[in-house]
Amino acid sequence: MKVAYYPGCATHGLSKDVDIATKKVAEVLGLELVEVEDWNCCGGGFLDEKDEDAHVALNLRNLSNVEKMGLDKMVTPCSVCLGSHRLATYKYNENKDLRKRVDKRISGTTIKYENKATAEHLVWVLVRDVGLENIKKHVKKNLNGLKVGAYYGCQMLRPEQIMGFELSFKPHSLQDLISVTGATPVMFPMATACCGFPLMGSNPKGGLKLAFNVLNSAKSSGADIMIHPCSLCHLQLDTLQDKVKSEFNVGWTLPAIYITQLLGLSFGLSPEELGLGNYAKEILKQKGVIQ
Amino acid sequence: MQMAEVKQIEGKNVEMNSQPKSSAIKNEEKEIVVKVKRFSPDKGEWWQEYKLKVDRFTQMTEVLRRIKTEQDPSLSYRAACHMAVCGSCGMKINGAPRLACKTLALELTKEYGSDEITLEPMDLYPRVKDLVVDLEDFYQRMYKVKPRLYPSEEVLEGKAEHRLVPEDQRELWKFAQCIWCGLCVSSCPSVRNDPEFLGPAAHAKGYRFLADPRDTITEERMNILVDSSWRCTYCYQCFNVCPRDIEPVTTIKKTRAWSGKMKDKTKVIETGEKHVNAIADTIRKSGKLLEAEVYLRTYGLAQAMSDMLFMLKSGRMKYALIKEVPVKGLNDIEKVMNGGEQ
Repeated sequence: MKVAYYPGCATHGLSKDVDIATKKVAEVLGLELVEVEDWNCCGGGFLDEKDEDAHVALNLRNLSNVEKMGLDKMVTPCSVCLGSHRLATYKYNENKDLRKRVDKRISGTTIKYENKATAEHLVWVLVRDVGLENIKKHVKKNLNGLKVGAYYGCQMLRPEQIMGFELSFKPHSLQDLISVTGATPVMFPMATACCGFPLMGSNPKGGLKLAFNVLNSAKSSGADIMIHPCSLCHLQLDTLQDKVKSEFNVGWTLPAIYITQLLGLSFGLSPEELGLGNYAKEILKQKGVIQ
Repeated sequence: MQMAEVKQIEGKNVEMNSQPKSSAIKNEEKEIVVKVKRFSPDKGEWWQEYKLKVDRFTQMTEVLRRIKTEQDPSLSYRAACHMAVCGSCGMKINGAPRLACKTLALELTKEYGSDEITLEPMDLYPRVKDLVVDLEDFYQRMYKVKPRLYPSEEVLEGKAEHRLVPEDQRELWKFAQCIWCGLCVSSCPSVRNDPEFLGPAAHAKGYRFLADPRDTITEERMNILVDSSWRCTYCYQCFNVCPRDIEPVTTIKKTRAWSGKMKDKTKVIETGEKHVNAIADTIRKSGKLLEAEVYLRTYGLAQAMSDMLFMLKSGRMKYALIKEVPVKGLNDIEKVMNGGEQ
């Protein structure tokens, strides 16, 4: 199966390990990811507050490039990039005034969006198109005994009327993927709450509190480690482990890894091949999952 | 057999009250189990189960009415209009904040794949009894944003009249549809964590007047709304749960755009503006968001240096040094970012 792949800026930057693990796992699964030609930033979830029309136009440019490649499905590992593209096409189709302005803005550019290409989350493609049974066939190392928190975050689920893959108040895609590896999925009260990343740009103290709420909730529910579906949750929940520790005076870490990093471990790929971070390696060593 | 009534609409014969074509649809009925989280100040909290038959027309408010009149008069809930206008019947249905009147029981059982439906009071607000909560906190948030139009003296004296162009009306219409049900505030994480944040409904209402060209207290509204708008975490829960499709988060984004006009900027406004300006500038420059530059411009060198420690500890420093290739089609990006002009 061949799909267009939109990594996004964080996945090509500080969350590069998401990109590394996703490409490895896709290769094992026979999922051909073709990077969107000359893709641009989706606006990072913020550009629309400064210039709504530019935000829509930039996202249409990516989707228009996907159409030029002869593809109609653009898969992204980042929930914010997903939300950004899907909100852009929703607005473009629903709001006539905005559509007129955007059309004017993109006239004279190479952007020609024909409403054929849509953005999808990598998790949706894994669960629906690749299939859980198919993924299971590639599991070489059963992760039995590892308790994995299933953290969904925000924009893979919400707004449900625009995402629509699963019920936003009763999702199960990530639990299903965890179960495939043999590990035990752990649901926790804050599994669909915000990680606080979008607040870091204006009110970092508030953002850090939200990160603590999520990590603490997963830890209290018995998780050893947590998986998530977003390159920005990745920065917030993994990189800031020590900041959360010192700010909220806790004595534990709860590493957050990307879903394909967990799948990769069960496929027998090494921590290095999956770009696993230091916090995750430490806990996984303690649990005997890696050497 | 009852004959269908035939009426003429726009010159065509149209069958009114005709029997549904498929009897399978018409007769679809199911017994459901409704589990209600009950509460009274003297007895505390407990779960109670009720069984009843529903069909495809049964709203959850009808379910509650039948339980109360046919099975248990002690059950308390609020409902009035049964058509998503009064905003009285907000509650958690299968864990999701919804209006009971806008939720069909049979559809819900299909959606969730279970004939058991749970009903709980909305989160956040103090419970009064069973599904009835005290919405005082919600109302106070709404009053804070002065939820009415403040027209000019000339208009009040009858010397002038208000004019609103259709484009402005279309911009405001969606955001003016709030029915004060409280669902968005009950499920908002920023409301819980930050007492300075007004909450989604108040922002939708506030923006609806802030952007109204007929309103005269713009500066006061900016002072009430702009700082708070930077305290939203963009989780999209308000957009998700609003039964009137108001998109409060969209009004919060639009309110942030007024920051440039503020005379006295608070710390969150200043930081937020630096952040979004840096994002826009790096996109304009390279077509991509350059994380290191955005970080430096938002937090300054000292903070960026101390945060590098976290990068090193997590093993992520090597990624900070990646130099991402700029977009080749920068012409497109420039045109789009500069409002279409070259």
